[in-house]
Amino acid sequence: MAKIEPITGRYIYVPYEGEEYRVFYEEAGQGIPLVCLHTAGTDSREWRHQLCDPDINRNFRVIALDLPRHGKSIPPKGWWKEEYKLTAKFYAEFLMAFCRELGLEKPVIMGSSMGGNICLHLALNFAKDVRSLIAIEACDYSPGWWLDWLWNPHMHGGEVAATSVYGLMAPQSPLEYRQETWWFYAQGGPGIFKGDLYFYSVDHDFRGLCSKLDGKVPIYFMTGVYDFACTPEMTEQTAKKVKGSECIIMEEIGHFPMSENPVTFKKYLIPVLAKVLQNK
Amino acid sequence: MAAFDARWMERWQSLVNQDSVTKIIGRHLSADVLMEFGSVAYVVSFVNGTLTRVAQNIGPETTYDFALRGPQDTWGKFIQPIPPPMYNDIWAMAHPLHGRLKIEGNVKVMWQNLRAFTWALDMMRNVKE
Repeated sequence: MAKIEPITGRYIYVPYEGEEYRVFYEEAGQGIPLVCLHTAGTDSREWRHQLCDPDINRNFRVIALDLPRHGKSIPPKGWWKEEYKLTAKFYAEFLMAFCRELGLEKPVIMGSSMGGNICLHLALNFAKDVRSLIAIEACDYSPGWWLDWLWNPHMHGGEVAATSVYGLMAPQSPLEYRQETWWFYAQGGPGIFKGDLYFYSVDHDFRGLCSKLDGKVPIYFMTGVYDFACTPEMTEQTAKKVKGSECIIMEEIGHFPMSENPVTFKKYLIPVLAKVLQNK
Repeated sequence: MAAFDARWMERWQSLVNQDSVTKIIGRHLSADVLMEFGSVAYVVSFVNGTLTRVAQNIGPETTYDFALRGPQDTWGKFIQPIPPPMYNDIWAMAHPLHGRLKIEGNVKVMWQNLRAFTWALDMMRNVKE
Protein backbone atom coordinates (compact mmCIF):
# COMPACT_ATOMS: atom_id res chain seq x y z
CA MET A 1 0.00 0.00 0.00
CA ALA A 2 1.49 3.31 -1.04
CA LYS A 3 2.05 5.92 1.64
CA ILE A 4 0.11 8.97 0.46
CA GLU A 5 -0.65 12.09 2.47
CA PRO A 6 -4.23 13.45 2.71
CA ILE A 7 -3.16 16.81 1.24
CA THR A 8 -4.46 17.89 -2.15
CA GLY A 9 -3.10 20.91 -4.00
CA ARG A 10 -5.02 23.10 -6.46
CA TYR A 11 -4.79 26.42 -8.26
CA ILE A 12 -7.40 29.13 -7.96
CA TYR A 13 -7.63 32.43 -9.84
CA VAL A 14 -8.09 35.29 -7.40
CA PRO A 15 -9.27 38.64 -8.77
CA TYR A 16 -7.86 41.66 -6.96
CA GLU A 17 -7.76 45.29 -8.11
CA GLY A 18 -8.11 44.50 -11.81
CA GLU A 19 -5.49 41.72 -11.80
CA GLU A 20 -6.06 38.00 -11.76
CA TYR A 21 -3.62 36.06 -9.57
CA ARG A 22 -2.99 32.34 -10.07
CA VAL A 23 -2.71 31.07 -6.52
CA PHE A 24 -1.65 27.65 -5.31
CA TYR A 25 -3.16 26.22 -2.16
CA GLU A 26 -3.11 22.92 -0.34
CA GLU A 27 -5.87 21.54 1.82
CA ALA A 28 -6.88 18.59 3.95
CA GLY A 29 -9.77 17.78 6.25
CA GLN A 30 -13.32 18.97 6.69
CA GLY A 31 -15.11 21.41 8.93
CA ILE A 32 -14.43 25.00 9.87
CA PRO A 33 -12.06 26.61 7.36
CA LEU A 34 -8.63 27.17 8.92
CA VAL A 35 -6.49 29.27 6.60
CA CYS A 36 -2.76 28.98 7.35
CA LEU A 37 -0.33 31.73 6.39
CA HIS A 38 3.34 31.07 5.72
CA THR A 39 6.17 33.26 7.00
CA ALA A 40 8.12 35.80 4.93
CA GLY A 41 9.87 34.49 1.82
CA THR A 42 8.60 30.92 2.04
CA ASP A 43 5.47 28.97 1.16
CA SER A 44 2.71 26.64 2.31
CA ARG A 45 5.07 23.69 2.88
CA GLU A 46 5.70 25.09 6.36
CA TRP A 47 2.26 23.76 7.34
CA ARG A 48 2.66 20.19 6.07
CA HIS A 49 2.51 18.61 9.52
CA GLN A 50 -0.67 20.38 10.60
CA LEU A 51 -2.36 19.67 7.26
CA CYS A 52 -1.79 15.96 7.80
CA ASP A 53 -2.64 15.80 11.50
CA PRO A 54 -5.98 14.00 12.07
CA ASP A 55 -6.34 15.74 15.43
CA ILE A 56 -6.49 19.00 13.50
CA ASN A 57 -8.08 18.15 10.16
CA ARG A 58 -10.89 16.16 11.84
CA ASN A 59 -12.69 19.38 12.78
CA PHE A 60 -11.09 21.84 10.42
CA ARG A 61 -10.72 22.22 6.68
CA VAL A 62 -7.04 23.14 6.82
CA ILE A 63 -5.97 25.33 3.90
CA ALA A 64 -2.47 26.68 3.30
CA LEU A 65 -1.89 29.05 0.39
CA ASP A 66 1.18 30.42 -1.31
CA LEU A 67 0.99 34.19 -1.57
CA PRO A 68 1.69 35.60 -5.06
CA ARG A 69 5.46 35.33 -5.83
CA HIS A 70 5.83 32.51 -3.29
CA GLY A 71 6.03 28.75 -3.77
CA LYS A 72 3.89 27.69 -6.73
CA SER A 73 1.95 30.98 -6.97
CA ILE A 74 3.40 32.89 -9.88
CA PRO A 75 3.99 36.65 -9.71
CA PRO A 76 1.47 39.02 -11.30
CA LYS A 77 1.87 40.29 -14.87
CA GLY A 78 4.73 42.75 -15.27
CA TRP A 79 6.25 41.84 -11.90
CA TRP A 80 9.78 42.69 -13.05
CA LYS A 81 8.89 46.36 -13.54
CA GLU A 82 8.61 47.12 -9.84
CA GLU A 83 10.49 46.40 -6.63
CA TYR A 84 8.46 44.01 -4.54
CA LYS A 85 7.33 45.47 -1.23
CA LEU A 86 4.48 43.74 0.55
CA THR A 87 2.04 46.14 2.21
CA ALA A 88 -0.52 45.56 4.94
CA LYS A 89 -3.26 46.76 2.59
CA PHE A 90 -2.44 44.28 -0.18
CA TYR A 91 -1.79 41.41 2.20
CA ALA A 92 -5.03 41.75 4.18
CA GLU A 93 -7.26 42.53 1.21
CA PHE A 94 -5.74 39.81 -0.94
CA LEU A 95 -6.22 37.19 1.77
CA MET A 96 -9.87 38.08 2.11
CA ALA A 97 -10.26 38.01 -1.71
CA PHE A 98 -8.77 34.50 -1.67
CA CYS A 99 -11.20 33.41 1.06
CA ARG A 100 -14.17 34.90 -0.83
CA GLU A 101 -13.18 33.27 -4.11
CA LEU A 102 -12.86 29.90 -2.38
CA GLY A 103 -16.29 30.41 -0.78
CA LEU A 104 -15.00 30.21 2.79
CA GLU A 105 -17.50 31.38 5.35
CA LYS A 106 -15.97 33.11 8.38
CA PRO A 107 -12.65 31.27 8.30
CA VAL A 108 -10.21 31.02 11.15
CA ILE A 109 -6.93 32.64 10.09
CA MET A 110 -3.71 31.27 11.56
CA GLY A 111 -0.38 32.75 10.56
CA SER A 112 3.15 32.95 11.80
CA SER A 113 5.58 35.89 11.77
CA MET A 114 4.29 38.21 9.04
CA GLY A 115 1.28 35.88 8.93
CA GLY A 116 0.82 36.58 12.61
CA ASN A 117 1.26 40.32 12.27
CA ILE A 118 -1.35 40.54 9.51
CA CYS A 119 -3.90 39.10 11.95
CA LEU A 120 -3.96 42.49 13.69
CA HIS A 121 -4.87 44.21 10.42
CA LEU A 122 -7.54 41.59 9.74
CA ALA A 123 -8.99 42.23 13.20
CA LEU A 124 -9.12 45.95 12.45
CA ASN A 125 -10.55 45.85 8.93
CA PHE A 126 -12.27 42.48 8.48
CA ALA A 127 -13.58 41.58 11.92
CA LYS A 128 -16.98 40.55 10.63
CA ASP A 129 -15.48 38.21 8.05
CA VAL A 130 -13.35 36.02 10.33
CA ARG A 131 -14.21 33.65 13.15
CA SER A 132 -10.99 33.73 15.17
CA LEU A 133 -7.38 34.75 14.64
CA ILE A 134 -4.33 32.77 15.73
CA ALA A 135 -1.40 35.18 15.60
CA ILE A 136 1.82 33.21 16.00
CA GLU A 137 5.10 35.07 16.65
CA ALA A 138 3.21 38.36 16.31
CA CYS A 139 3.42 41.79 17.89
CA ASP A 140 2.51 45.36 17.07
CA TYR A 141 5.94 46.35 15.73
CA SER A 142 8.87 44.19 14.65
CA PRO A 143 11.71 46.39 13.33
CA GLY A 144 15.21 45.58 12.11
CA TRP A 145 14.72 43.10 9.27
CA TRP A 146 14.33 45.17 6.08
CA LEU A 147 17.97 44.67 5.06
CA ASP A 148 19.73 45.05 1.72
CA TRP A 149 21.92 42.01 2.45
CA LEU A 150 18.86 39.86 1.87
CA TRP A 151 18.70 40.87 -1.78
CA ASN A 152 22.14 41.54 -3.15
CA PRO A 153 23.68 39.99 -6.28
CA HIS A 154 27.02 39.67 -4.47
CA MET A 155 25.65 36.86 -2.36
CA HIS A 156 23.39 33.84 -2.61
CA GLY A 157 19.98 35.22 -1.67
CA GLY A 158 18.55 31.86 -0.69
CA GLU A 159 21.44 30.91 1.58
CA VAL A 160 21.66 34.29 3.26
CA ALA A 161 17.88 34.54 3.78
CA ALA A 162 17.72 31.02 5.20
CA THR A 163 20.71 31.46 7.48
CA SER A 164 19.52 34.84 8.75
CA VAL A 165 16.44 33.11 10.18
CA TYR A 166 18.13 29.88 11.27
CA GLY A 167 18.91 31.22 14.74
CA LEU A 168 15.25 32.12 15.23
CA MET A 169 14.67 28.41 15.80
CA ALA A 170 15.17 26.77 19.18
CA PRO A 171 18.13 24.46 19.78
CA GLN A 172 15.63 21.95 21.20
CA SER A 173 13.86 21.68 17.84
CA PRO A 174 14.92 18.61 15.85
CA LEU A 175 17.87 19.38 13.58
CA GLU A 176 16.11 17.67 10.69
CA TYR A 177 13.15 20.05 10.90
CA ARG A 178 15.33 23.11 11.42
CA GLN A 179 17.27 22.21 8.31
CA GLU A 180 14.02 21.58 6.41
CA THR A 181 12.84 25.08 7.33
CA TRP A 182 16.22 26.39 6.16
CA TRP A 183 15.61 24.55 2.87
CA PHE A 184 12.21 26.19 2.36
CA TYR A 185 13.80 29.58 2.93
CA ALA A 186 16.65 28.90 0.53
CA GLN A 187 14.12 28.45 -2.28
CA GLY A 188 12.47 31.86 -2.20
CA GLY A 189 12.54 34.06 -5.31
CA PRO A 190 15.06 36.92 -5.58
CA GLY A 191 14.09 39.82 -3.34
CA ILE A 192 10.92 38.16 -2.08
CA PHE A 193 12.05 37.63 1.52
CA LYS A 194 13.25 41.22 1.67
CA GLY A 195 10.03 42.45 0.03
CA ASP A 196 7.95 40.60 2.62
CA LEU A 197 10.08 42.11 5.36
CA TYR A 198 9.04 45.55 4.15
CA PHE A 199 5.65 44.64 5.58
CA TYR A 200 7.10 42.85 8.61
CA SER A 201 9.46 45.62 9.75
CA VAL A 202 8.25 48.82 8.07
CA ASP A 203 4.63 48.91 6.90
CA HIS A 204 3.39 46.93 9.88
CA ASP A 205 3.47 49.48 12.67
CA PHE A 206 0.40 48.78 14.73
CA ARG A 207 1.57 50.54 17.89
CA GLY A 208 -1.05 53.27 17.62
CA LEU A 209 -3.81 50.96 16.44
CA CYS A 210 -4.04 48.20 19.08
CA SER A 211 -6.49 50.26 21.15
CA LYS A 212 -8.82 50.52 18.14
CA LEU A 213 -9.57 46.78 18.18
CA ASP A 214 -12.97 46.22 19.73
CA GLY A 215 -12.39 42.64 20.91
CA LYS A 216 -15.25 41.16 18.89
CA VAL A 217 -12.89 38.72 17.19
CA PRO A 218 -10.95 36.46 19.56
CA ILE A 219 -7.20 36.71 18.98
CA TYR A 220 -4.82 34.08 20.29
CA PHE A 221 -1.20 35.23 20.39
CA MET A 222 1.35 32.40 20.53
CA THR A 223 5.08 33.12 20.73
CA GLY A 224 8.09 30.88 21.21
CA VAL A 225 10.75 31.82 23.73
CA TYR A 226 13.58 31.58 21.18
CA ASP A 227 12.04 34.18 18.87
CA PHE A 228 14.51 37.07 18.89
CA ALA A 229 12.61 39.00 16.18
CA CYS A 230 9.35 39.06 18.13
CA THR A 231 10.26 38.23 21.69
CA PRO A 232 7.78 36.91 24.25
CA GLU A 233 7.91 40.33 25.93
CA MET A 234 7.00 42.07 22.65
CA THR A 235 4.00 39.77 22.20
CA GLU A 236 2.91 40.11 25.83
CA GLN A 237 3.03 43.89 25.63
CA THR A 238 0.96 43.82 22.44
CA ALA A 239 -1.57 41.38 23.88
CA LYS A 240 -2.07 43.62 26.91
CA LYS A 241 -3.22 46.36 24.54
CA VAL A 242 -5.54 44.15 22.46
CA LYS A 243 -9.03 43.63 23.85
CA GLY A 244 -10.29 40.06 23.80
CA SER A 245 -6.90 38.52 23.22
CA GLU A 246 -5.09 35.69 24.93
CA CYS A 247 -1.31 35.35 25.08
CA ILE A 248 0.42 31.98 25.13
CA ILE A 249 4.20 31.76 25.50
CA MET A 250 5.65 28.51 24.19
CA GLU A 251 8.74 26.99 25.81
CA GLU A 252 11.60 25.35 23.90
CA ILE A 253 10.48 26.60 20.49
CA GLY A 254 11.22 29.54 18.22
CA HIS A 255 9.84 31.62 15.36
CA PHE A 256 8.66 28.72 13.14
CA PRO A 257 6.68 26.48 15.52
CA MET A 258 4.72 24.66 12.81
CA SER A 259 7.78 23.58 10.83
CA GLU A 260 10.67 23.55 13.33
CA ASN A 261 8.95 21.45 15.97
CA PRO A 262 5.42 20.27 15.10
CA VAL A 263 5.24 18.01 18.18
CA THR A 264 5.93 20.78 20.70
CA PHE A 265 3.74 23.20 18.76
CA LYS A 266 0.82 20.76 18.79
CA LYS A 267 0.79 20.72 22.61
CA TYR A 268 0.06 24.44 22.56
CA LEU A 269 -2.12 24.55 19.45
CA ILE A 270 -4.69 21.87 20.28
CA PRO A 271 -6.10 23.71 23.35
CA VAL A 272 -6.36 26.88 21.25
CA LEU A 273 -8.22 25.05 18.49
CA ALA A 274 -10.58 23.60 21.11
CA LYS A 275 -11.44 27.16 22.14
CA VAL A 276 -11.79 28.22 18.51
CA LEU A 277 -14.39 25.47 17.99
CA GLN A 278 -16.52 27.15 20.66
CA ASN A 279 -16.29 30.58 19.03
CA LYS A 280 -18.96 31.78 16.61
CA MET B 1 42.10 25.09 29.99
CA ALA B 2 39.19 27.52 30.19
CA ALA B 3 36.73 28.77 27.63
CA PHE B 4 38.32 31.16 25.10
CA ASP B 5 41.92 30.57 26.16
CA ALA B 6 44.51 29.54 23.57
CA ARG B 7 44.14 25.79 24.13
CA TRP B 8 40.37 26.03 23.98
CA MET B 9 40.65 27.91 20.67
CA GLU B 10 42.98 25.20 19.34
CA ARG B 11 40.40 22.55 20.17
CA TRP B 12 37.69 24.53 18.41
CA GLN B 13 39.98 24.93 15.39
CA SER B 14 40.52 21.19 15.34
CA LEU B 15 36.77 20.46 15.51
CA VAL B 16 36.07 22.85 12.63
CA ASN B 17 38.79 21.33 10.48
CA GLN B 18 37.59 17.77 11.12
CA ASP B 19 33.95 18.58 10.36
CA SER B 20 32.62 17.03 7.16
CA VAL B 21 29.77 19.55 6.68
CA THR B 22 32.15 22.53 6.86
CA LYS B 23 34.12 20.95 4.03
CA ILE B 24 30.97 21.00 1.88
CA ILE B 25 29.41 24.34 2.77
CA GLY B 26 32.59 26.27 3.57
CA ARG B 27 34.68 25.87 0.45
CA HIS B 28 34.34 29.56 -0.42
CA LEU B 29 34.85 30.84 3.12
CA SER B 30 38.12 32.75 3.14
CA ALA B 31 38.36 35.56 5.69
CA ASP B 32 40.34 36.88 8.63
CA VAL B 33 37.97 37.46 11.53
CA LEU B 34 38.71 39.34 14.74
CA MET B 35 36.92 37.57 17.56
CA GLU B 36 36.78 39.45 20.82
CA PHE B 37 35.62 37.56 23.90
CA GLY B 38 35.64 40.33 26.49
CA SER B 39 39.29 41.09 27.23
CA VAL B 40 40.62 38.22 25.06
CA ALA B 41 40.89 38.58 21.28
CA TYR B 42 42.11 36.49 18.36
CA VAL B 43 42.27 36.80 14.62
CA VAL B 44 41.05 33.54 13.16
CA SER B 45 41.84 32.89 9.51
CA PHE B 46 39.69 30.75 7.24
CA VAL B 47 41.07 29.70 3.87
CA ASN B 48 38.60 27.87 1.63
CA GLY B 49 36.75 26.61 4.68
CA THR B 50 39.79 25.49 6.63
CA LEU B 51 40.57 27.31 9.86
CA THR B 52 44.27 27.73 9.11
CA ARG B 53 45.39 30.05 11.90
CA VAL B 54 44.37 31.38 15.31
CA ALA B 55 46.56 34.41 16.13
CA GLN B 56 46.47 35.95 19.56
CA ASN B 57 48.85 38.88 19.53
CA ILE B 58 46.62 41.72 18.35
CA GLY B 59 48.63 44.87 17.66
CA PRO B 60 48.79 47.99 15.53
CA GLU B 61 49.71 45.93 12.46
CA THR B 62 46.91 43.41 12.81
CA THR B 63 44.51 43.33 9.87
CA TYR B 64 41.22 41.50 9.48
CA ASP B 65 38.10 41.52 7.33
CA PHE B 66 35.44 41.83 9.98
CA ALA B 67 35.15 41.67 13.75
CA LEU B 68 32.79 40.14 16.29
CA ARG B 69 33.04 41.82 19.67
CA GLY B 70 31.10 40.86 22.76
CA PRO B 71 31.48 40.48 26.51
CA GLN B 72 32.73 37.11 27.73
CA ASP B 73 29.44 36.57 29.56
CA THR B 74 27.53 36.84 26.26
CA TRP B 75 29.87 34.39 24.51
CA GLY B 76 29.72 32.13 27.55
CA LYS B 77 25.98 31.77 27.05
CA PHE B 78 26.42 31.28 23.30
CA ILE B 79 28.68 28.25 23.82
CA GLN B 80 26.43 26.47 26.33
CA PRO B 81 25.25 23.08 24.99
CA ILE B 82 21.68 24.46 25.01
CA PRO B 83 22.19 28.21 24.78
CA PRO B 84 19.44 30.32 26.38
CA PRO B 85 16.98 32.32 24.26
CA MET B 86 18.53 35.35 22.52
CA TYR B 87 22.05 33.88 22.85
CA ASN B 88 21.88 30.94 20.43
CA ASP B 89 23.00 32.77 17.29
CA ILE B 90 25.32 35.66 16.39
CA TRP B 91 22.57 37.51 14.48
CA ALA B 92 20.26 37.03 17.48
CA MET B 93 22.89 38.62 19.72
CA ALA B 94 23.78 41.37 17.23
CA HIS B 95 20.25 42.26 16.05
CA PRO B 96 19.44 45.95 16.78
CA LEU B 97 16.72 44.85 19.21
CA HIS B 98 19.34 43.15 21.41
CA GLY B 99 22.81 44.60 20.74
CA ARG B 100 24.75 42.07 22.81
CA LEU B 101 27.32 41.54 20.08
CA LYS B 102 28.94 44.06 17.75
CA ILE B 103 29.70 43.03 14.18
CA GLU B 104 32.02 45.51 12.48
CA GLY B 105 34.24 45.91 9.43
CA ASN B 106 33.56 44.46 5.99
CA VAL B 107 30.43 42.68 7.15
CA LYS B 108 29.51 41.91 3.55
CA VAL B 109 32.06 39.08 3.67
CA MET B 110 30.31 37.73 6.74
CA TRP B 111 26.85 37.85 5.17
CA GLN B 112 28.20 36.18 2.02
CA ASN B 113 29.54 33.31 4.12
CA LEU B 114 26.97 33.37 6.90
CA ARG B 115 25.99 29.72 6.57
CA ALA B 116 29.48 28.26 6.82
CA PHE B 117 30.66 30.80 9.37
CA THR B 118 27.77 30.28 11.79
CA TRP B 119 28.06 26.51 11.35
CA ALA B 120 31.72 26.74 12.38
CA LEU B 121 30.90 28.94 15.37
CA ASP B 122 28.23 26.50 16.55
CA MET B 123 31.01 23.94 16.97
CA MET B 124 32.29 25.96 19.93
CA ARG B 125 29.53 24.17 21.87
CA ASN B 126 31.31 20.86 21.30
CA VAL B 127 34.68 21.92 22.75
CA LYS B 128 35.41 19.76 25.80
CA GLU B 129 37.06 21.78 28.55
